[in-house]
Amino acid sequence: MECGVRCPRRRRVRPFCTQTAMYRGPGFDFSNSLRNDFLQHKGVALPKATSTGTTIVGCIFKDGIILGADTRATEGEIVADKNCEKIHYIAESIRCCGAGTAADTEFVTAAISSNIELHALSTGRKPRVVAAMTMLKQYLFQYQGHVGAALVLGGVDSTGAHLFTVHPHGSTDKLPYVTMGSGSLAAMAVFENGWKPNMEVGRQPLSPALPSWYSNDNVRPAVQREEALKLVCDAVAAGIFNDLGSGSNIDACVITATHTEMLRNFVKPNERVAKELKYGFRHGTTAIKSEHIRSLVVSEEITPIRGEAMDVS
Amino acid sequence: MDRIDMDRLKSGEVNLGTSIMAVQFDHGVVIGADSRTTTGSYIANRVTDKLTHVHDRIYCCRSGSAADTQAIADIVHYSLQLYTQEFGAAPPVSSAAAIFQKLCYENKDALSAGIIVAGWDKEVGPSVYNIPVGGGSFRQPWAIGGSGSTYVYGYCDATYQEGWGRGEAVQFVKNTLALAMGRDGSSGGVIRMCVITEDGVERLFVPGDQLPKFWEGHEVLPAAVTGANVIDPVPMAVE
Amino acid sequence: MTSIGTGYDLSASTYSPDGRIFQVEYATKAVENSGTAIGLRVKDGIVLGVEKLIHSKLLVPGANRRIQTVDRHIGMATAGLLADGRNVANRARDESSQIRGLWREPPTVKELADRLALYAQAYTLYSSVRPFGISTIFGGVDKTGPSLFVVEPSGVCLGYHGAAVGKGRQLAKTELEKLKLSELSMREAVIEAARIIYIVHDDNKEKEFELEMSWAGDETGGLHVPVPADLLAEAEQKAREALETFE
Repeated sequence: MECGVRCPRRRRVRPFCTQTAMYRGPGFDFSNSLRNDFLQHKGVALPKATSTGTTIVGCIFKDGIILGADTRATEGEIVADKNCEKIHYIAESIRCCGAGTAADTEFVTAAISSNIELHALSTGRKPRVVAAMTMLKQYLFQYQGHVGAALVLGGVDSTGAHLFTVHPHGSTDKLPYVTMGSGSLAAMAVFENGWKPNMEVGRQPLSPALPSWYSNDNVRPAVQREEALKLVCDAVAAGIFNDLGSGSNIDACVITATHTEMLRNFVKPNERVAKELKYGFRHGTTAIKSEHIRSLVVSEEITPIRGEAMDVS
Repeated sequence: MDRIDMDRLKSGEVNLGTSIMAVQFDHGVVIGADSRTTTGSYIANRVTDKLTHVHDRIYCCRSGSAADTQAIADIVHYSLQLYTQEFGAAPPVSSAAAIFQKLCYENKDALSAGIIVAGWDKEVGPSVYNIPVGGGSFRQPWAIGGSGSTYVYGYCDATYQEGWGRGEAVQFVKNTLALAMGRDGSSGGVIRMCVITEDGVERLFVPGDQLPKFWEGHEVLPAAVTGANVIDPVPMAVE
Repeated sequence: MTSIGTGYDLSASTYSPDGRIFQVEYATKAVENSGTAIGLRVKDGIVLGVEKLIHSKLLVPGANRRIQTVDRHIGMATAGLLADGRNVANRARDESSQIRGLWREPPTVKELADRLALYAQAYTLYSSVRPFGISTIFGGVDKTGPSLFVVEPSGVCLGYHGAAVGKGRQLAKTELEKLKLSELSMREAVIEAARIIYIVHDDNKEKEFELEMSWAGDETGGLHVPVPADLLAEAEQKAREALETFE
């Protein structure tokens, strides 16, 4: 009898839950979360979030190509390597920056480098950038995006300087300045702002002593000769400082018709200060206002209780 | 029909959300395209060349997945070189279209590609073939394709006339693409065009700030009126 | 090695010391024993003619054709082993449909003849096969106009204005050279072709023969078809008349 009274009351509460699919009140809606938990319980795995934690860039200048890359390698949110190399060798005058799955970029560039070397041997000519680009795109297309390599390919050959991006599915673009990886947006902003045709790198030896990247001070001595290289470094730095997936140092590579210069750790904007390795405090670091000494020794007295001895005979 | 189904693209795939077009005129064809390439909401390339050479007098306009259409165009380019080598003459546009169709139809499950093939040949002169997603092949006097094309079917139907010369065809392509680019979010940038005739291929370029202008709208609210007629808006009573 | 012969002729894959392939030369001999076949490429089409020798009076007239149709617009006439001609015709039909499937257009005569030349040449390379004992005249009309090609047992393929293969080819060629082929009409070419076949037929040595003719060009709407009976009869009549006054 009593039950008849209580049941209607409960029913008023329950529809609230089931109706969420149709009626959406204001505020957060967690109905999908419930559904996802259910699906997961049934064995449907949630899609994995993968990130291409990298900033790689490339740019054409008057005499050739400059490539740039950060040196952070990540495994999820863990920095796996603080100073890895992302500018890979294809041929003497052709290099390739890799973003995406590290193993894939490493392997695909090594494989194409090998084939390019054989191709150069069989044709008796210096390899062309388009040849490397075609090999890369055909390889990646074959694997339908499962080889997760996003590349910036640049170099100089008998037909001039060429710069390409190669996407994991095998599409390519040819542009005067390019960026890829998770830091590509930050880096592209720098290029869009600063790139102009026929920039120079200069013939004098490049000095690695560029000003600190922390400063907002854009007023720099008009060093025309390092214009293009600075732009590339600025672009990578933008990725390093604004993208969580990118970090550590800047590698650069200057490719001209006559010479290729690999500038490993060209800028190190994240140098760690030397550890002192002693963590004691100097006497007097903290002032003593009063002193009170307590004895922490617990003293106790044992009072044997005399009684009738147990019969142990 | 030839709209790009976004669901068919693999995640992270580079997309040619596109406006492309080809028109036949009395002794040639005009082809044109916008220049936008996107990955999701990011413009991966704003000066893309979607007009792709496959033979001396045969070009294609690509829409859909960049990787797929580039791969297809590369294969057709190779096939047509083979044709020339084997038969000692330039291939007709119909044969180029046949190869495109074969690839698009036989691999329809794995591809998202909407392609317009256009060019000039000795047998029939100028011709335009539309090969939409799915791998059909249709010869048409004019064809439009890509995501932007849906906005301009009406304009094309209302504007196109037979017997045009080069000048009218170029203007038609330019106007159509400007309208499509204006309405389609995934089209934009510059207009690239090619005029293909027996004599050669001429490239035309319209910068993004010099696109043909059409009605661009104006302030719909009435201009501020001064004087006695001004009615102050009365705030709604709120308890 | 047997007591006679040098042994260099036992296989198509063996050269003789002076650089010849005897098997191919023997195949050419097989062609030379056959009734003559000719082809004329004229202003608006091509005409094929064959002197088909009748081995037996019991054969049905018109049977065992030596002119075959490869595609709607291409025909071929063979001289040599009849069975080899059948095989080559089937191969040609396959190639033709393959070309149509790939390029969505009818093949040109040259494309087809080139492919069959490769086919014939492949039979000069291996010890396990013998070269084809036929010379084939391919004739037809395509987008390049009328064209005529001959494929030899060696795999050589050459284009001609007028072609002759088989027993009476020398005399036939002499007669063909006298004609202004590029000015002739198809109808005129039919008359000339019939005349030449009748001339080259050696009445004294040979048995009876049947004249087999086909054509392709403007007169036929671009199709390869047998020459109509009335025209054939007229041509044969004129050929016999011409024979009276010949020499």
